[in-house]
Amino acid sequence: MFLRLVADSFRRRPRRQLLTGAALALGMAVATAALSVSLDVDDKLGREFRSLGANLVITPQADSLPLEIGGVDYRSANAGAHLPESDLPKLKTIFWHNNVVGFSPMLDVPVQAWSPAFQRFSNPDAVEATTLTGTWFDQPVALPDGSTFETGIEKTNPWWHVDGAWFADSAAECVVGKNFAKRNSVKLGDTVNVSAGDHGHWNALRITGVLDSGGPEDDGIVAPLAIAQALSGKAGQYRRAYVSALTKPEDDFARRDPRSMNSDELERWSCSPYVSSIAYSIRQAIPGSDVRVIRRVAEGEGRVLTRVRMLLWLVTLAALLTAALAVGASSAASVMERRTEIGLMKALGAGSGAVGFLLAAEQLLLAVVAGSVGYGLGMFLARVVGERIFGAAPQPSLLVVVLILTLAAAVTIMGSAIPLHRASRYEPAPILRGE
Amino acid sequence: MEYRSQNRRMFWRMVWRLLGARRGRLLMILLALGAGAAVTSALLNLQVDAKRRLTSEFRTFGANMVVEPKSDHSSGALAGTLLESAYESVPVAPASAGGKSALLVLVGQVRSTAGVTQAVIVGLRTHGSAGSDDPTVSDGGAGLPASPQRETTCSIGSKAAAALRVAKGDELSLEQGTRQLRCEITSVDPPGGEYDSDVLVPLAAAQELSGLSGRISSVRVSYPGTPSQVNAFIATLVQRLPDANVRGLRQFTEAEGKIYDRVSGVLTATVAIVLILTGLCVMAVMTNVAMERRNDVGLMKAIGGASRRVLRLFLAEAAVVGFIGGILGAGAGLVISIWLGKAVFGVAARPRLIVYPVSVLLTIIVAIAGAYPLRRLASIRPASVFRGEA
Repeated sequence: MFLRLVADSFRRRPRRQLLTGAALALGMAVATAALSVSLDVDDKLGREFRSLGANLVITPQADSLPLEIGGVDYRSANAGAHLPESDLPKLKTIFWHNNVVGFSPMLDVPVQAWSPAFQRFSNPDAVEATTLTGTWFDQPVALPDGSTFETGIEKTNPWWHVDGAWFADSAAECVVGKNFAKRNSVKLGDTVNVSAGDHGHWNALRITGVLDSGGPEDDGIVAPLAIAQALSGKAGQYRRAYVSALTKPEDDFARRDPRSMNSDELERWSCSPYVSSIAYSIRQAIPGSDVRVIRRVAEGEGRVLTRVRMLLWLVTLAALLTAALAVGASSAASVMERRTEIGLMKALGAGSGAVGFLLAAEQLLLAVVAGSVGYGLGMFLARVVGERIFGAAPQPSLLVVVLILTLAAAVTIMGSAIPLHRASRYEPAPILRGE
Repeated sequence: MEYRSQNRRMFWRMVWRLLGARRGRLLMILLALGAGAAVTSALLNLQVDAKRRLTSEFRTFGANMVVEPKSDHSSGALAGTLLESAYESVPVAPASAGGKSALLVLVGQVRSTAGVTQAVIVGLRTHGSAGSDDPTVSDGGAGLPASPQRETTCSIGSKAAAALRVAKGDELSLEQGTRQLRCEITSVDPPGGEYDSDVLVPLAAAQELSGLSGRISSVRVSYPGTPSQVNAFIATLVQRLPDANVRGLRQFTEAEGKIYDRVSGVLTATVAIVLILTGLCVMAVMTNVAMERRNDVGLMKAIGGASRRVLRLFLAEAAVVGFIGGILGAGAGLVISIWLGKAVFGVAARPRLIVYPVSVLLTIIVAIAGAYPLRRLASIRPASVFRGEA
């Protein structure tokens, strides 16, 4: 009988229930879309922030102070310490290996360069002193677990643009800075000869591209790491490596010194992908290394991310709140207009509890159906937004489904609670008389 | 004439009665409309404000453009330096948001009681906040020459401090050639900064140490704004400083532009979705309420009300409700957006007056649109209503 009453109410007045359901579905769609977007935005923006490039730099612990002015290191080539290239794959074995998006080692060598294409070739000053930076462009790194990871300069310095193509890591090729190219009027396909001190021996490198880095590299030459190692006689070594990692914005807890923590805190600290805890685990993995956070990148990133996340959560909260209010108002209205029906039921001997239960069951049924429809609609909207802005749809999450259905149920029940409470005090007689 | 004014009075009296007839229902409609208006005005206000704030948030990345000497690879003592007047002629960005700093960089001998090493010495003069990363060096007033005792204050990067085994309060001796300068360390920068392995002194002291008085190596400028604003500012600098090379720090300008686009895209999309669906929700509520007016309409038609006049009556009611709900909601939205701005950016969002009339207007439109299904009431036949037929 109970089920029949509920079913009958839907059959008799489909339009009325449809309208309440529509309000509910729309409200839940807003909530779903806003929730999915904000749940996902951290991850998406974190990746977006990687366009700032590396946020960690690895240097040898025993290094002397760099004397770098405008990108030129004034130390002699043999001064300072180096790190072995063979340790680099260990970066992908640390606890946070999935957060490491890319890394690239670098070795700077002061070189003499000349090219048959130099316009000043006829004059005795034809040889130019410049800096050759050895690095990886797209190096497959063999990992201990058998897989390979391709990484290089494009991951850590995404703002470097090359007109032409990058060099192949195994070939005698290079890219030249745009100022270097302009000064010496060399172009793609030309050959540039470089030598580090020893004028008897020149390495011929084919120019595959012109680099626009917006930094001091614009005045130099960038070549495969192996060539820089051969020129400087530091086989298998590098001077510094840049690491780009996905991180969680730092809070006060993250900035504490891990040595001052107790074991519980240390575990929590090292299990959060804070940039400092990633630096800590890299330091443990690579012996003799000193890992520093590039504070300018990491701090700015953390701050902006925190703000944006907070902003979106507040917008989401506002969306949830309005959706709740609108839905609540709508279900309250639908209960209120059923005074006559309630009066009749009570006149026929139904208790307040039974009437309330019946109406609540009706509303709940509506909530589940309309909530599901709203979820579908909201996911579609979130997809559209996600694809438009980030080029990828947000992952559907079970949490959102559960949350939305709970919210829908809670809101309809709360919306109808006040009128139901009133209805329970109705005297049937005046209502039936139409007063 | 008198008939018409009486007629109008009657019209408004009926609207008033319609509103007051069931206070519970009125409250419900006002609540729905007010909530919609509040969200509309709060989000619109916040959206305009947040985008602006976001660009100033980017200043944590520090300088985003650099003024350098034109690289001509000429030799000589003054090569690679600019006149200090280049620094003066960089206009200062809107107060409290941007900043600029002049640098003079040289390599010198740094001696402490515990050791001696070659290090980069950076002379610094700043104006405004050039970024969280830029350390502060008190130069005792802009451009004041180092005191006669050739003593000054300096701050030192963590790496350099470790190499020299010095701490805050220690003394350093800086030498280049025959010139010498003593300084007291006022602060040691935490690791990870740009000047990790450098010694920072006031600009005037570095100029004296290097014998390059009135010269600087570069100017760093931090200018908050959208990517196009930053580019426009770079263009002005290029015009003002024809002898220098002005360039944006691509690492930051590019990433800032990208992130700004993404964030403002997410924000606009979310706000648009919320607004549209809020409107639809309110409409659904209004429609639901309108449907229960069958009896009223039947009665009005029975005593001779023309369909158009009845309809006008209900539309007037919807407009009045929309107006009241809009005003109340927009007021609440103002408070909400101030609070939101404070919570997110630490600064209250500045209320934009245009937002309020817009959100009140939107609410009225939504309310009237919600009453649109009443049109169907025109086809109601009074007799069937009174017979109690559904």
